[in-house]
Formats: sequence, structure tokens, C-alpha cells
Amino acid sequence: MKQSQSSWKLLILAALLPILVLVAINVTGEWRNDFHPDSFKRFGNAVLTSYVVMGIILIGNLFFYADSRHRPFAPFVGMIFALAVGIVIAWALISNDDLLLEANSGLRAQMLSNVVHLLVSGTAMALASLLAIGVTFAMITGRERRVLFEEE
Amino acid sequence: MLEAAIWFWIPLCLVPIGIWFSVSGQAKSIGKIIAAIGLVLVMISSWTVPSSDSTAGGHLLLSISAPSLLLAYGVHGMIFGGNVPVGRLDSSARWSGSLAIFVSLLILCLMHWYSFTPLWRDGEVNPYWIVFWPTFLLFATSLCSVSAVALASYGENRLNESINLAVLSVFMAGIALSAMIFDGYMTTSDEFRDYLWLATADVFGTIVGMSLAIAAFAIVIWAYENSLPLPEISPPPTEEEIKHVVSLAKNHIGGEEE
Repeated sequence: MKQSQSSWKLLILAALLPILVLVAINVTGEWRNDFHPDSFKRFGNAVLTSYVVMGIILIGNLFFYADSRHRPFAPFVGMIFALAVGIVIAWALISNDDLLLEANSGLRAQMLSNVVHLLVSGTAMALASLLAIGVTFAMITGRERRVLFEEE
Repeated sequence: MLEAAIWFWIPLCLVPIGIWFSVSGQAKSIGKIIAAIGLVLVMISSWTVPSSDSTAGGHLLLSISAPSLLLAYGVHGMIFGGNVPVGRLDSSARWSGSLAIFVSLLILCLMHWYSFTPLWRDGEVNPYWIVFWPTFLLFATSLCSVSAVALASYGENRLNESINLAVLSVFMAGIALSAMIFDGYMTTSDEFRDYLWLATADVFGTIVGMSLAIAAFAIVIWAYENSLPLPEISPPPTEEEIKHVVSLAKNHIGGEEE
């Protein structure tokens, strides 16, 4: 059990380390690129948009996969409430002064821009996953099969 | 606004709806057709509604479709050209697959450093290209590193494969470093370094947001399942039912002693 926990920690470290190294080089290189002022806004918008979009996808899954449970109503209401909370928080934070508003004219433009932004960054992440997971499986299947038992 | 809704936003909504239909098995072929039509309409939206700024996203998807398909072809060839129990391809598929992956990465690099950069309005670079490129490089570097460590920790005698994945991770980090140092064809290294921050914020924000949505979903399902009454305990079988089952079993256990 202890070994399993340490492996998870190692995996998280492996995921974070390359990003941290690149960011560290970005900060300490001769160009000394300081923390981008819009990074917090981007993080906040990414959190809220991905929460809402993922919530909608999960509600769709509830609808399409709930046949075996006779489409119960309560989880729908629960998820729609959870989604509504996310939308209200997004609306409140974007319309509150300059808190999450990026280079867009208003609330509607910012929300639509967030969805397109998520589409593009999601595509980038999906393509990167295809590369990494695909090459991992290619490495696994690339080795000659070991002979486990010799025929007598 | 209405034109943008008809030619961009509604087709964009059709893509997940088509996938839901297809995956749920209720209307597989219709679902695939709906998703494909939606995706094509989103990709060509910069011509159908040129006035909408959102269509830059669709234009970028169209621009990267060729290297993406080549990457998918390469990955398929590399996996199924190896030792797989079913659907095995000719061993040359591994070589053609690895070449396809290399060429797809080369095309993406040429899109940054050569004239293949996706241009949108008035010969200007597509604003989402500088969002896509650092996010792809960061996430690929990170995932390859995770895969390398996972193979080394969980796999048995997988050190060589793990080293190969670590090399790929360093290669992707090298491309990111080159973009931080050298100007692109239409974008500067300053812009790339700025967007590296934003890409980092994007990756972490997206992961956190998705995790929160999944957690909310799990809590909702858990609360619903907890509220259900316990199933009634069924009565034990009667003598007649036991006799019936025994007779059925006897019919199926055949074979005389030799």
C-alpha cells in the first residue's frame, strides 16, 4: 500500500516537473519573463468554463445512460443545480469589474470566447494525449513476446 | 449574431449530441453523421460567417486537421504493427507509423517557424494558434514524462521503453524551449513566452474544473443512491423450485462412467 502511494506521488511529480522546469526557465532566462498579469484570469475562466461544459456532458450521460434505472429525476435536478451554481459564479465573477474579464467587450463576449478557448485548448490536450498514450502503447506492443512456457 | 448561432454554435452543439447518440447505441450511424456534419460546419465557419470572431477556433481546427490525422494514422500503425493479439498489421506499419508521427510533428513545427502558420483575417495569424501550440507542447511534455515514469514503476523490465518515452518528453520540451528562444514566422518568442504562462494556467484550470464537475456528479449520484430504500430480501426457494433446479442440472450434467 505504501509503495502504491509513493508511485502516485511520483506520477504527479513527473506530470508537474516538466511544466515547472519550463516555467522556471521562462522566469529565470535572460529575458526574465515575469508572471503574466492575465494568468489568474485565464485560470479562473478555464476552471469555470471546463466545470460548466463538463457538467453539461455529464448531464447528457445521465440522460443517455439512465435507461436501466428508468431515468430517475433526482440526479438530473441535482446536476442541473450544480451546473446552475457554476454558471451563476461565472456570471458574477465576469461581470464584477475587471475580475475575470479578458480582452472582450462584455459578459456575453467573454463567455462565448471562453467556450471557443476551451475548444482549442481541449483539442491541444486531446492531441497531446493521443501522442503520449499512443506512443506508450506502441512501446509496449513493440517488444517481442516473451516465451513463458517451453513446449516439451 | 443569428448567423453565428446557425453556422457555428448550433453545429458545435451537434458534435457532442451526435457522439452521445453514437456511444449510447440508440442511433449509432445517425449519431456519427450528425457529429461529422457538425464538425465540418464548425471547420468551415470562417467562410460561412466571416464576421464572427469565434470562427477563428473552427478555422484553427481545420488548419491542424492534416497533422492530426497523420498523427492518428501514425499511432495506429505503430501500435498495431507490433505484437498485438488481434488486428495485427504488417511489421512495416511500425516504420511508416513512426515516420507519420515524425512528419506530423514536423508540420506543426513548420506551422510555427515557416510559412504554414494558419492565417485568418487580412493575412493575420489565427489568434488561437498561439493558444494551441504552447498548450500542446506543455501537455505532451508532461504526459510523456508521466508515461515514462509509469512504465518504469509499474512495468516489468520496461526500462528501455521508459527511456524512449523520456527522450520523447525531452524532445517536446526542446521544441518548447526553441519556441521560447527563436521567433516564429508570424509570432515572436516574446508572445510565445507570454502564452506559456497562459497555457499553464489553461491546463491547470481545465483539469481543476473538470475534476470539480466529476466530483459534483459523484456527490449527486452518491446522494441519490443513498436515498434509495434497501432492496427487499427475497424468500428462500420452495421444495418444488429446488426439485425443478435439480432436474435441470441433472439434464445438463451428462456422461456415463466408463
